Amino acid sequence: MAADTEPESEVFEITDFTTASEWERFISKVEEVLNDWKLIGNSSGKPLEKGIFTSGTWEEKSDEISFADFKFSVTHHYLVQESTDKEGKDELLEDVIPQSMQDLLCMNNDFPPRAHCLVRWYGLREFVVIAPAAHSDAVLSESKCNLLLSSVSIALGNTGCQVPLFVQIHQKWRRMYVGECQGPGVRTDFEMVHLRKVPNQYTHLSGLLDIFKSKIGCPLTPLPPVSIAIRFTYVLQDWQQYFWPQQPPDIDALVGGEVGGLEFGKLPFGACEDPISELHLATTWPHLTEGIIVDNDVYSDLDPIQAPHWSVRVRKAENPQCLLGDFVTEFFKICRRKESTDEILGRSAFEEEGKEIADISHALSKLTEPTPVPIHKLSVSNMVHTAKKKIRKHRGVEESPLNNDVLNTILLFLFPDAAFEKTLDGTTSTDNNNLPLESEDYNLYNQFKSAPSDSLTYKLALCLCMINFYHGGLKGVAHLWQEFVLEMRFRWENNFLIAGLANGPPDLRCCLLHQKLQMLNCCIERKKARDEGKKTSASDNVTNLYPGDAGKAGDQLGPDNLKETDKEKGEVGKSWDSWSDSEEEFFECLSDTEELKGNGQDSGKKGGPKEMANLRPEGRLYQHGKLTLLHNGEPLYIPVTQEPAPMTEDLLEEQSEVLAKLGTSAEGAHLRARMQSACLLSDMESFKAANPGCFLEDFVRWYSPRDYIEEEVIDEKGNVVLKGELSARMKIPSNMWVEAWETAKPIPARRQRRLFDDTREAEKVLHYLAIQKPADLARHLLPCVIHAAVLKVKEEESLEDISSVKKIIKQIISHSSKVLHFPNPEDKKLEEIIHQITNVEALIARARSLKAKFGTEKCEQEEEKEDLERFVSCLLEQPEVLVTGAGRGHAGRIIHKLFVSAQRLTESSDEAAAMAPPEEEFKRIGSAEERRQNSVSDFPPPAGREFILRTTVPRPAPYSKALPQRMYSVLTKEEFRLAGAFSSDTSFF
Amino acid sequence: MASATDSRYGQKESSDQNFDYMFKILIIGNSSVGKTSFLFRYADDSFTPAFVSTVGIDFKVKTIYRNDKRIKLQIWDTAGQERYRTITTAYYRGAMGFILMYDITNEESFNAVQDWSTQIKTYSWDNAQVLLVGNKCDMEDERVVSSERGRQLADHLGFEFFEASAKDNINVKQTFERLVDVICEKMSESLDTADPAVTGAKQGPQLSDQQVPPHQDCAC
Repeated sequence: MAADTEPESEVFEITDFTTASEWERFISKVEEVLNDWKLIGNSSGKPLEKGIFTSGTWEEKSDEISFADFKFSVTHHYLVQESTDKEGKDELLEDVIPQSMQDLLCMNNDFPPRAHCLVRWYGLREFVVIAPAAHSDAVLSESKCNLLLSSVSIALGNTGCQVPLFVQIHQKWRRMYVGECQGPGVRTDFEMVHLRKVPNQYTHLSGLLDIFKSKIGCPLTPLPPVSIAIRFTYVLQDWQQYFWPQQPPDIDALVGGEVGGLEFGKLPFGACEDPISELHLATTWPHLTEGIIVDNDVYSDLDPIQAPHWSVRVRKAENPQCLLGDFVTEFFKICRRKESTDEILGRSAFEEEGKEIADISHALSKLTEPTPVPIHKLSVSNMVHTAKKKIRKHRGVEESPLNNDVLNTILLFLFPDAAFEKTLDGTTSTDNNNLPLESEDYNLYNQFKSAPSDSLTYKLALCLCMINFYHGGLKGVAHLWQEFVLEMRFRWENNFLIAGLANGPPDLRCCLLHQKLQMLNCCIERKKARDEGKKTSASDNVTNLYPGDAGKAGDQLGPDNLKETDKEKGEVGKSWDSWSDSEEEFFECLSDTEELKGNGQDSGKKGGPKEMANLRPEGRLYQHGKLTLLHNGEPLYIPVTQEPAPMTEDLLEEQSEVLAKLGTSAEGAHLRARMQSACLLSDMESFKAANPGCFLEDFVRWYSPRDYIEEEVIDEKGNVVLKGELSARMKIPSNMWVEAWETAKPIPARRQRRLFDDTREAEKVLHYLAIQKPADLARHLLPCVIHAAVLKVKEEESLEDISSVKKIIKQIISHSSKVLHFPNPEDKKLEEIIHQITNVEALIARARSLKAKFGTEKCEQEEEKEDLERFVSCLLEQPEVLVTGAGRGHAGRIIHKLFVSAQRLTESSDEAAAMAPPEEEFKRIGSAEERRQNSVSDFPPPAGREFILRTTVPRPAPYSKALPQRMYSVLTKEEFRLAGAFSSDTSFF
Repeated sequence: MASATDSRYGQKESSDQNFDYMFKILIIGNSSVGKTSFLFRYADDSFTPAFVSTVGIDFKVKTIYRNDKRIKLQIWDTAGQERYRTITTAYYRGAMGFILMYDITNEESFNAVQDWSTQIKTYSWDNAQVLLVGNKCDMEDERVVSSERGRQLADHLGFEFFEASAKDNINVKQTFERLVDVICEKMSESLDTADPAVTGAKQGPQLSDQQVPPHQDCAC
């Protein structure tokens, strides 16, 4: 190959002398490009199928060439077609006219809804355009245009390319093209006229036919018939009959007296303006023959109602304002704010809070003295009151960002339990959420890492969203958050469980904030149980056993403890001794025998089981069904045990890091085991207390049954007896279990050190909540808001049942769950999700708008209704939809009515404005066409009229080959365009 | 815990550590099915007939090469006793892979597999991978759970299945390596499918593109 190309390049250099001028070089470059794209020769394809221009795929290839220093871009536009085997056909088609010329006459793709203008004008499936590369450049002078056209002609001639080649002239916006197509012995010239106004004689079909005929200049008489396709387009802009139903929500109604909790649990939805701006009706006469109809300056047969084809397209408002999208977007914006709550509220919000509350508790304790029983009747309103008071103190009443009614409503919505003076067990709440608990929608929180849709966290997110949008923006958010934190503290201090949170340890599948709240609830639950336990066991004199323990006493005396709590903030755990602060908690636990001394049980510390057996059993939960103690056969009791500490994901991470840091050595492993042995030890102590005189074997049989191995043995008397022993691993000398067992003292759970320091944990959570900035808060809650928005969109979609939207929602869910699964997702990805949700919202709003306009709901006949619904959904998804039955079909009649009523409105308003702008008058009279159309017509004057005239005649001489001739014309208010393709025989003229 | 979630699939953030990925793997199953032995066999290639019953949770580390990548395995060994369920399940969330183990000589431990699997579904990450392992397959004389039953259950639960012996070092390495491979597959799959999600995102704007007036000389 290399040897072959060498001499060729030499030859090329020689021929280079002929391409000396810029023009010649330009032509050769055009040829090169045509060669590169393999556009040489006859590229015949199958006849065009109906609608293929819309349903098929269009592609384009581009290249850049220059004429001297003027840059042009060359673009090949083509419809992707299944490749036909050209080989066999080539010879057969030797004499056949080029594909493009045949396409000129093809009627299957007239007026395609979406296509390149040249496709619409000439019905081409393939063409090349040479246009100035820079958008502002233009070829203006006639000589330059001619030069370009000549270049095209020469290039086509030289290469034998049969694809039409166009050059764009004049300013780009005018879309002026001239071009040429060459075949064996035939040529088509593409010419164009573009004017601002329609010359009077050409405003109708007969005038256009006249130009067409004169342009062809056919020598034959009579002229072969001209086939005609016509399309009139009517635009409907006034939908006065159907006002856009969506009103922006009435904010005043919320602020005013009738605030219902309802509004705060729900997200708004829909577009604020009509998302469908225009309806375009295209009435088409696809196949007329000259002489069948009359359309001249005095009379027209072209009545749109009678048109055999109607098709409709809708113009959608660009980025209609959508409520849900705005809501979420605004909330997302908070994430970027840097201010802390204090800065926003203009004071130190939490600094004084301790004293304040201490004051209250003082006051209350005065009321309730002498019994230190927690007060149960305190409710949200009290808290609101105190918070209000504080704000007033610091900043004056008028500055409070949230008005009292709004705040009260929200707090009642968030904490419905405070409204009814029922026992606060946190399980019942007035949910208007009817999602079945196991449904896919309900479990969405699992994917989004948000919170269940009936949870407090979720509701809080919705409220903050609402506040941010309608009630005070960022300030309102900061204010509500502050109130929320106060309420949390109130609940902790007064042993009120937080309603709206699932019981049990923090759900790690939810967002961290939700976990924190659950954690706080765990703390409250423990504290409450303990306090109640103390009360009931008071007769037991248990408390008297610890006369000196100030911490416990403080815990018992509710209000006093509150005071302490507030003064010491996070330090309050200290009053419980700092055992749990230490990593070596189990050591302290073991060495702390003071309590036991008071109990008079210290004698049993080192004592054997026999001595222990004399002790009174304590802390029994229930009797084990089968097991009995090994040494005395007494029933084995399951003890009351301490629950292990609940963990939020950040705590868990911390702990696992600590554990991991110990390394993988045996020592590390041993240390790790020790660190985690607190629970084991506690259980052993509880067990010992419940089963005085028990052995490790007893414990193991309950706790880890497989570590007690029983075998049937035949004793001396020949009886089969069960003989059991500890497993080998339990017998390893001084293993963790034995060690713990030996150090464990018989102490019931309630008198043990707490495994979980609820006081400390609660304070940690409260502190964490207090230091969250609005931005942090928004980040915490964004998954909940997205979750809610997706549910909302889903709910709205289910009312409309739009399959394409269903698909998009599914995509949004899977995309979101991927993004939200990782902590700190990128802002860009979050924005994308919000954008998708907004788009879906707009889609649904459009569907609604169309349904309202076409009155699908009002339709009584089932069959018609279905057709209409199908029609409406097609309008949403397809660029142009055919109206079945045209003007006489069901949809057609509705469209007709829409136009009629729009016309009546314009008529009446015209009469009313009889004195109004003379320009209008002028325009009306100005056009004979319009005057004619306007005479109490059901339709407005067409916004556009398109005509395609086609025929096959010999040109230029009667004995030339009969070739396709075509002229497309479009008439609108702004322009008049004729696009003609006239073919002539180049051999016989 | 969440280091797996912090950086996608534990892909390392700093280059000073000598691995490309870190996988967190959890071994779970009833008490005394041989979890600790299994881990020791894999990580240290050692075996002792009796390990102290695990208290809470313990771990070992092993770095392996897979597809030219250094993968650090942080394998967490859990206590099997009922009492430790709450403690150990908290660790599920960060794990990319699970080895669910039963003892082929102990019916009860096999019966509990279904339960453990539910626990995984409840507490773990959506695409955590699970392998079912029947341990102690060296003790053929005492076998009470046939391979067939093990396999059937694994099929039913959608897990891959191995019978192994920590004592005789059968299938131990294979189990871990298979798990790593499955995680890797899932990982690249999810990275692939992440793209359609992104392109799916681009469909959003496309929808609104319809609003743009068609590019042609239509009659509007």
